[in-house]
Amino acid sequence: MVSFFRIVKFALEDIFRNFSLSVMTVVILVLMLLSVNTLVVVQAITTQAIASVKEHIDVSIHFQHEATEEHISEVRSYVESFPEVLESQFLTKEQVLEEFKQAHQEDSSILTSLEELEENPLGSTLVVKTREPSDYEKIITAISVPEYEHIVEAKTFNDVQTSIEKIDTITRRVEESVIFLSILFTLIAFFVTFNTIRVAIFTQRLEIGIKKLVGATNWFIRGPYIIESVIFTICSMFVAGVLVYHGLAILDPYLEVVFGQKAFLQEYFSAHATQLIGIEFAGVFALTVFTSGIAIRKYLRT
Amino acid sequence: MIKLSGVSKQYTKNSTGLDDVSLHVDAGEFVCVVGQSGTGKTTLIKLLIAEEQPTGGTVEIGGWDITRIKQRDIPLLRRQIGVIFQDYKLLEKKSVIENIAFALQVSGATHKRIQDTVPRVLDIVGLTEKKYAFPHQLSGGQKQRVAIARALVHRPKILVADEPTGNLDAINANEIIEIIKKINAFGTTIILVTHDRGIVNRLRKRVITLHDGSVVLDNTHGKYQL
Repeated sequence: MVSFFRIVKFALEDIFRNFSLSVMTVVILVLMLLSVNTLVVVQAITTQAIASVKEHIDVSIHFQHEATEEHISEVRSYVESFPEVLESQFLTKEQVLEEFKQAHQEDSSILTSLEELEENPLGSTLVVKTREPSDYEKIITAISVPEYEHIVEAKTFNDVQTSIEKIDTITRRVEESVIFLSILFTLIAFFVTFNTIRVAIFTQRLEIGIKKLVGATNWFIRGPYIIESVIFTICSMFVAGVLVYHGLAILDPYLEVVFGQKAFLQEYFSAHATQLIGIEFAGVFALTVFTSGIAIRKYLRT
Repeated sequence: MIKLSGVSKQYTKNSTGLDDVSLHVDAGEFVCVVGQSGTGKTTLIKLLIAEEQPTGGTVEIGGWDITRIKQRDIPLLRRQIGVIFQDYKLLEKKSVIENIAFALQVSGATHKRIQDTVPRVLDIVGLTEKKYAFPHQLSGGQKQRVAIARALVHRPKILVADEPTGNLDAINANEIIEIIKKINAFGTTIILVTHDRGIVNRLRKRVITLHDGSVVLDNTHGKYQL
């Protein structure tokens, strides 16, 4: 126990007596954490943006004007039985007409034509949303069978199919880019941090030799570096946390305009706080301990 | 106290540190080791503190065969041998008192023992008033005295001094030698490696002369002869 307290004391002395080097190490760790958190922000925004776009995609199944309620109900039950279907909304003929009128309220010729017809020419519609855009094709294929030909008049899926495919491609590309950038940034941060700590230990190589000379065990020499790693990790996490928090507060009002959700990023970070803090703390701590362990090893040999 | 039997140290095919050296140093002896540069003096010290291992022969310290000493036992050995160097090897970021106390702290000495021992060794080397100074605030002679004090805190049975006066003027060099003589008078075995002919001749102690890694002279009350 006496040795442990001495190790802690030596670690604190080292930090304060090599203050500029300690500050530099913390700054590098903070930059690394900011890079990682930037990627978390990008990932969160990308995911939300893609989800928003997907939310606006649906498939409308327009029923024949003459289709009976029994037939419509049959198709509706069949479609809703698919596990891929997230939700569906049935619009009666009247609701469809109302929506149509609203959509064309500035086009007087269409409205006049409608009035000239004595009865509602439009059939009812089933608006279907699936979990993934790729699921729409399955639904459409399922109802594109001869027995439903006289019930279903049209499916608007064909109109949005290209868009869905494009979104799918973009989604995949964005996800791939984010993964690539994450790996790249993590590697850069890793090597910068690795070298900073190596340089810090290189400057102390003579001290390490002297400590060995007076009979210090390897653990007595390594100990302060491990304690310093804990302290550097806590400091860098704290500083990065404050900066990220303020950064999110600045970004959120801009994102509110796009997503219509208040404090989107702050809520995202709050919801994932334990996970993010845990992973980042473990990552930085493992990196600093591993790096100092590697860097110090060759000076401990004799 | 120190026994080398047929010790050789071959660094590479063409580089020999020591070649079949056998010698015996009794407890409490004062031995000067002289020789030109590259004759194996530093290799001898490195073998004694287990910084190197011999390629042949055996090295014993106080009956302990350290020829193939395990890594984990090296700290224990070094706490039993005090070593001082020409370049002092002080921890620049620690004060005088911290440098000396550090040698005890690493061995797990109690706070009380450290508080009792450190002022005493500081007094022996005459640096009580400089205890809070840092190495860069000290003269060469003072730095060497700190190194001696640090080497003494474990009450070592052997003190190895590698060119301890090499960076000092004549007055400081004599002061350091006087302190080393005083330590020897308390019963500590001294191995003094030096180039200083005057010091060796004045001491009139045992002189071991090395040449090309071998012992060429071993005189009980010898002089510097090269």
